[in-house]
Amino acid sequence: MSLGIPSADFLASVRDALGREAGPPAAAYQHLLESAGELELQAAEIRRRNAGDLPLLLDKMAGTAALRGWNVQRAGGGEDALDYVVSLARRLGVESAARAESAVFSAVPVDAALAGAGVVCWPAVYDADRERDAVRRRLAESGLGITGADYAIAETGSVIVLPRRGLSRLVSLLPPVHVAIVRAQDVIDTLDDLFVLRRLEYHSDGGDMGSYLNFISGPSRTADIEQTIVVGVHGPREVHLVLLDKE
Amino acid sequence: MAEVTTRDFAAASRAAVQDPQLRRAFGSAGAGFDGARRDAIDEVTPEVWEQWRQQARSIKEHAVGNLDYYLELLERNVAAAGGQVHFAADANQANAIVSEIVRTRGVKVATKSKSMVSEELGLNHVLEGQGVAVFETDLGEYIIQLAEETPSHLVAPALHKTRGEVARLFADKLGVPYSDDIEEMARVARVALRQKFLDADMGISGANFLVAETGTLVIVTNEGNGRLCTSAPRIHVGITGMEKVIPSMQDLAVFLRLLPRSATGQRITSYVSMVTGPKRAADEDGPEEFHLVIVDNGRSRLLRDPALRESLYCIRCGACLNICPVYQRVGGHAYGWVYPGPIGSIVTPELVGVAQAKDLPNASTLCGACREACPVQINIPRMLLHLRHELAESPDSQRRTASDTDALLARGFAAVMSKPLLLKVARRLGRLAVKSVTRDGKIGRSRLPFLSRWTAARDLPAPPARSFSDIWRDELSRGDR
Repeated sequence: MSLGIPSADFLASVRDALGREAGPPAAAYQHLLESAGELELQAAEIRRRNAGDLPLLLDKMAGTAALRGWNVQRAGGGEDALDYVVSLARRLGVESAARAESAVFSAVPVDAALAGAGVVCWPAVYDADRERDAVRRRLAESGLGITGADYAIAETGSVIVLPRRGLSRLVSLLPPVHVAIVRAQDVIDTLDDLFVLRRLEYHSDGGDMGSYLNFISGPSRTADIEQTIVVGVHGPREVHLVLLDKE
Repeated sequence: MAEVTTRDFAAASRAAVQDPQLRRAFGSAGAGFDGARRDAIDEVTPEVWEQWRQQARSIKEHAVGNLDYYLELLERNVAAAGGQVHFAADANQANAIVSEIVRTRGVKVATKSKSMVSEELGLNHVLEGQGVAVFETDLGEYIIQLAEETPSHLVAPALHKTRGEVARLFADKLGVPYSDDIEEMARVARVALRQKFLDADMGISGANFLVAETGTLVIVTNEGNGRLCTSAPRIHVGITGMEKVIPSMQDLAVFLRLLPRSATGQRITSYVSMVTGPKRAADEDGPEEFHLVIVDNGRSRLLRDPALRESLYCIRCGACLNICPVYQRVGGHAYGWVYPGPIGSIVTPELVGVAQAKDLPNASTLCGACREACPVQINIPRMLLHLRHELAESPDSQRRTASDTDALLARGFAAVMSKPLLLKVARRLGRLAVKSVTRDGKIGRSRLPFLSRWTAARDLPAPPARSFSDIWRDELSRGDR
C-alpha cells in the first residue's frame, strides 16, 4: 500500500505549480512514440553496422576497456580463454572460484579446466543443501568471481550484466578479483545501441526490464580521501576482460 | 529536516577563509576535479560537448515542464515491475514513510549508499531514533558519519578532511592502528562494512535518474557500495527528489556521457546500476521489496517560479562547485545546508526559506564560470541576480537599508560616468588614493573605507602605472585609424 500523500494529490500540486492541465505533453516525445516494430528496425541496423565493422569494434572495445582499468586479454577461441583463466587462478593462488550462469561457459568450460588445476569452480546458485547465507559466505570467501557478459560497450569499455539464475549480482562484486568473458557477437558500439536493444527487449517482452542491469567499467575505486584514487573499496580491486574474437 | 545554519554564512565563511587547510582542500577541487573535467571535454572536442549539453538541456526542459505526466508514468511502471512508489510533500512525510517501512518489516540494520536527499531529510537521525543501526557505506559518507559531520561537497563529501584526520578518526572510532596510508584506510572501511552489507535488512539509495518509460532507478557510482546496498538486503528503498525523472531509457545515453565527465572527469564511472522493481521470482538474489520515495520538500516552489525552474535541471555533478572562486575559498560547510556552491545558493533559499538564507544569493562574484561548467547549461548567475532582486524588493527592513545605500551609490556612479570631465577627475583622485596604500605592487590590508572589505582577507593587485585610457590616447588611437 502506498504511504505518504495520495499520488493524485501530489501530482495535482505539481500540475498546479507548472500551471498546466492534466494529460500528455503538448509536444509528443519522440522516443516514447517508437513502436516495437520501429525499435526492431533500429536494432537490425545496429546489428548490421556492428557486424560489418567487427574487427574494428573489437579493437575499440579492447582499447577503451584497458583505459578503464580492465586487464584485457584477446582470445582466439575457448582454449585461449581457458588458458588465461587457469593461469590467472594459479597466479592468484585461489582455492575457490565462483561462477555465474552464462551461455559462454559451454564454449569456455571453466569448471573442468580449473578443477584440473586444483581450483574448485562452483556455480553460485542455491540448491537443496545450500542456504542463501551459506552461499553468500562462500562467495565472499572465494578469491575469484567469473561471469559472462550480456553486452559489452566499446564506447565506454563497459561490461553489461543482466540477471541470471543464482547469485548473479554478487559474483562480479564480492570476490576481490572478477573475470568477465565476453563473446565477440555481444560487443556493441555505443550507449545508444545498448538502450535501443534493451528497449526492444522490454517492449517485446511484455514490459519487463528485469530486476537490474549493471554496467561494470573497471575496478571498484574511490577518490574520497584527498582526491587520491584507490582501487578495490567495496568491489573487486582487479578485473579481467577476456575478449573472444570468435566462438 | 537537516539542521539549517545558513544564517551564519558570513561568519562561517570568514572563519573558513582563514583556515589554511580548508583553503588547500577546497582549492584542490579546482586543480583536481575541474582539471580532469576540462581534459575530458577536450578529448571529445568542445563542439561535441556543446551538442551533448544542448541535448541534455532539452530533455530536462521537457521532463520538468511535464513533470506530473512523467511522474505518473513512472509510478505506473514501477508498480508494473512489482515495486511501490510513495510520494512525500515534505521532509517529515518522507521520513515517516521510511519509518513505517522500517516498523512494519522489523528492520534492525540498514546500509546506505550516497543520497543527498536523505541528508536533506535528516533521515539517519530519524531511523536511529527508531533503534535502527544505519551505516553510510560510501567511503566519504562513512567518514563524515563517524566524525558526526555533514558533507562539504556534492560528490566528495569528506573533501574537507585530510588523510591524517581520517586516520585519527578510524583509530579512535574503529580501534584500528593509526595509519594515514590511503589504501590501508580504504581497506579498513571495506573490512568494517563488508559484514554490514550482508547483515542489513534494508538498503537505502538515492537516484541519479528515474526512467519513466520503464520504471527504472539509476545510480552512478564507483565504489561498489551502491550495488551492494541495492542487491544484498531484502528491502531496497530509493529516496529522491521529484525532478530526477527523465522520459525514456534512450535519454540516459547523453546523461551517462555528461555526468561522470562533469563530476570527476571520468569517461564513465566504475558502475552504473539500473534497478527496476524487486527481484523476480526466477532471481535468487536481490531485494524482495522495492520502494521508491519521491520527495517534493520545497521543489514545487522552484517549479512554480519560471525564473527559477531551470535549477531543477541540475544533475548534482558538482562542476559548479569545483570551478567557483567562492566555493574554492569558503568550502561547503559555510553554506550552512546540504547543497553548497552556486547551485546551492539558488536551491537552498527556496528549500529552507529565503528569509533564512539571504546571504547565499550574494555569495557569488557573478563571474559566470558556473554557467559555463554546467552540463545542462543552467544559467546560475541569472537566477542569483533574480534572487538578489527579490530580496531587495522584499519588505525586510535590513535589506531595505542596504538597498538604499546601493541605490545611492548607483546614482553617484551614474552621475560621474555620464560626465567625462568629472570621470577624469575622479579617476585621477582614485589613482592617487590607491597609490598611497600600494606596497610592492600590491594593496595589502587597506585603511580606506571602501577598500578595506576587499583587502581584509586578500591582497589586491595594484593598478598598472599607466591607465588604459592613457595608453589609448598616446599609442593605440593612432595607426589604423
